[in-house]
Amino acid sequence: MAAIIRTVKLRKVYAVGKERVVALNDVDINIEKGEFCCIVGQSGSGKSTLLNQLAGLEKPTRGQVFIGKHEISAMNEDQLAHFRQAHLGFIFQSYNLLPSMTAAENVALPLMFKGVPAKQRLALARKELKNMGLGGRANHLPTEMSGGQQQRVGIARAFVSRPKVIFADEPTGNLDSTTTRQVLYRILEMSKQDGTTFVMVTHEPDLAACADRIITILDGQVQSNVVQSDEVKQKARDELFATIRGNLEIGGAAAREADAPEKPPAPAGAEKAKDKKHVYVKQ
Amino acid sequence: MKISDQVALAAKNLSRRKGRTALTVIGVVVGTCAVIVMISLGIAQNKSYDEMLASWGDLTQIQVYGGSMGVSVSIGGTTVSSSSSEAPPKLNDEMVETFKAMDHVIAVTPYYEGYNLQGRISAGMNERYQITGLYDLYGIDPAAMEPMGFELADGEWLSDSANYGKDTLPVLVGTTSGYNFQDTRRSYTSTKRQRWAGQTDASGKELPPFVDVNKDDMTLTLTDGDPDAPKEKTWKLKVVGTMAVNEKYYWTQSGIVLRLKDMKMLIEENNHLLNKNNNYYETDLTEYQNVYVKVDDMDNVDEVGEAIKAYGFSTYSMSDTREEMQKQVGRNQMMLGGLAAISLFVAALNIANTMTMAIYERTREIGVMKVLGCELKNIRRMFLIESGFIGFIGGVAGALLSWGVSFILNNLLVIASGVMMLLQSLGVQANLDLSFLMNSGMGTGSTMSIIPLWLVGVALVFATVIGILSGIAPANRAVRISALEAIRHE
Repeated sequence: MAAIIRTVKLRKVYAVGKERVVALNDVDINIEKGEFCCIVGQSGSGKSTLLNQLAGLEKPTRGQVFIGKHEISAMNEDQLAHFRQAHLGFIFQSYNLLPSMTAAENVALPLMFKGVPAKQRLALARKELKNMGLGGRANHLPTEMSGGQQQRVGIARAFVSRPKVIFADEPTGNLDSTTTRQVLYRILEMSKQDGTTFVMVTHEPDLAACADRIITILDGQVQSNVVQSDEVKQKARDELFATIRGNLEIGGAAAREADAPEKPPAPAGAEKAKDKKHVYVKQ
Repeated sequence: MKISDQVALAAKNLSRRKGRTALTVIGVVVGTCAVIVMISLGIAQNKSYDEMLASWGDLTQIQVYGGSMGVSVSIGGTTVSSSSSEAPPKLNDEMVETFKAMDHVIAVTPYYEGYNLQGRISAGMNERYQITGLYDLYGIDPAAMEPMGFELADGEWLSDSANYGKDTLPVLVGTTSGYNFQDTRRSYTSTKRQRWAGQTDASGKELPPFVDVNKDDMTLTLTDGDPDAPKEKTWKLKVVGTMAVNEKYYWTQSGIVLRLKDMKMLIEENNHLLNKNNNYYETDLTEYQNVYVKVDDMDNVDEVGEAIKAYGFSTYSMSDTREEMQKQVGRNQMMLGGLAAISLFVAALNIANTMTMAIYERTREIGVMKVLGCELKNIRRMFLIESGFIGFIGGVAGALLSWGVSFILNNLLVIASGVMMLLQSLGVQANLDLSFLMNSGMGTGSTMSIIPLWLVGVALVFATVIGILSGIAPANRAVRISALEAIRHE
């Protein structure tokens, strides 16, 4: 498979006061199309900086970043905006839902920037929320939802425009361990379904163990870049998701209860979703 | 991103912080209202000046003076003449035709007064009742009367072509022309020699004039004034119509109007009679002293006036006075409007402040939008729409408020007396001198403030533009916010 993300001698230097801190030093990595890739490292290692460079949020001091054929490190802000609209999704650690908008409106946001008419984009957003098990929450404001639910809205927002690449900066950093696993499960499921390349920063080794590729960053340099064999990652996934088997509704019983009065959760749909996961998660 | 989405988003963000938005809007309301009211005062003043001028004379009329008025100016040894270098222009029939052919000119008529004529108009047995002197006689082109704006109370207009009989002069009279007659049987000092309109006798009955011009036969006599053997010539006068009173022309009330050609004939005869004495200044018939030019619209008076002046005549029109008054009003308006504009300027600062604060609050949101693919121009536009909204809403409310203020100003007297009555009915002793309010009405109209629709439109656009302008700097700040803000952890 061809590399969809590629860096060439990527270097980023920050000026902190009078000192110069080298955050990234000659990083060369390749991420294949459709891969689930985790970037791990200690805090301060430069893993978040790397993600920012890959997503084009920051300009590198030197070096190049390619996504597909496009050199995003050479794009100006408007070109980047168009590129993001068309090809990228993003999931944040602190969810970053717009507080004045309902869940559906938040999910529809990337489509709105693309110019999709309101009716059409809201329909798509609801569908996406339903996939995330949040069909009954479409008209709720972020403040009316739990952390896990908010992050699921965030995931729906990242996937709604069917991007080729999704970046996630510690998407489970603010969640408890059960919710973390549920969220990761969803992410994995969705990206495999769509064939999306998924790049995630995490410092939790057990989450990273499920990835197709693990890139370890240390002191601004690539320490290791490992593609895991199918058996290894399958074992890690089975282990990780063992505890939540049969409890895939993120937010747990509370979410189900809240949904119940509005609309009984469609068991058929939920079953279908569970069926699909068999594609890659052996139970 | 669709513009409708941007508008919706801007509206949503504004309604998110209603209190602050309201305060900012109030600033714009006050500013807009002040500007509208100040300008409306000027407009009302201009209008009342126009009404005043119109009551003095016809604003669409130009008076052209004849006589040797050709102007020649000497500049550095070269003589520049405003007309043909030799003879000064003549205000004759040819020139009148030239005026008639000009753009915007409705009617032109020479205007003759009879004060050079020597003679009388008489009626009654043995010429008992007489108008001595022919000062009340006027010669006007009959075809021009109606277009000039005169009206008939009764009868019909004079006609140049109709045949009124031999030695008969058709005339138009005014409603009080009969009062010009005096009773020659009475001595000059007698109070009974004259009557005037509205005069009553001892019992309070109104006295009619000595002569009923519509019924009694009247004779016009020209004389050479010889006390012993006067040479005289007489014509019968036939009244064909009565003019309605036109306040701008006093002679429509008591004058006697002849056709221009009859007037010319009389002057010729008069010259002829008087020439025998050889001591009399002959009235020049080759040139008119006075020509009236009627223009279709006030705004074209200047243009036509200039064109006439270019022939070398001097002119006068009310619009000369009007212009001066308008300049004065314009100066006042500028000053008041300038003061009002200051409050609008403060409102603009307010908007800029509000927008800057909003952007600080929404730094993270803006970062998120950027990461999600919102283009810079859309971010900028969203904030400009927001600040433009503030201006627009303020403009609308300001316009409504200024209507209210204008209503109050225009009805101050009514309102003030109403308040007084209310106070008095409550037993409060209130003595307010309202006379100053009566005087502030400026002449004819008591309207102090006029808000035309265009002023509202202009004010709305202006307020919106001010809103947008004051949003530019904050919007640019929003555009510069880094997408990284979105992933900054707190």
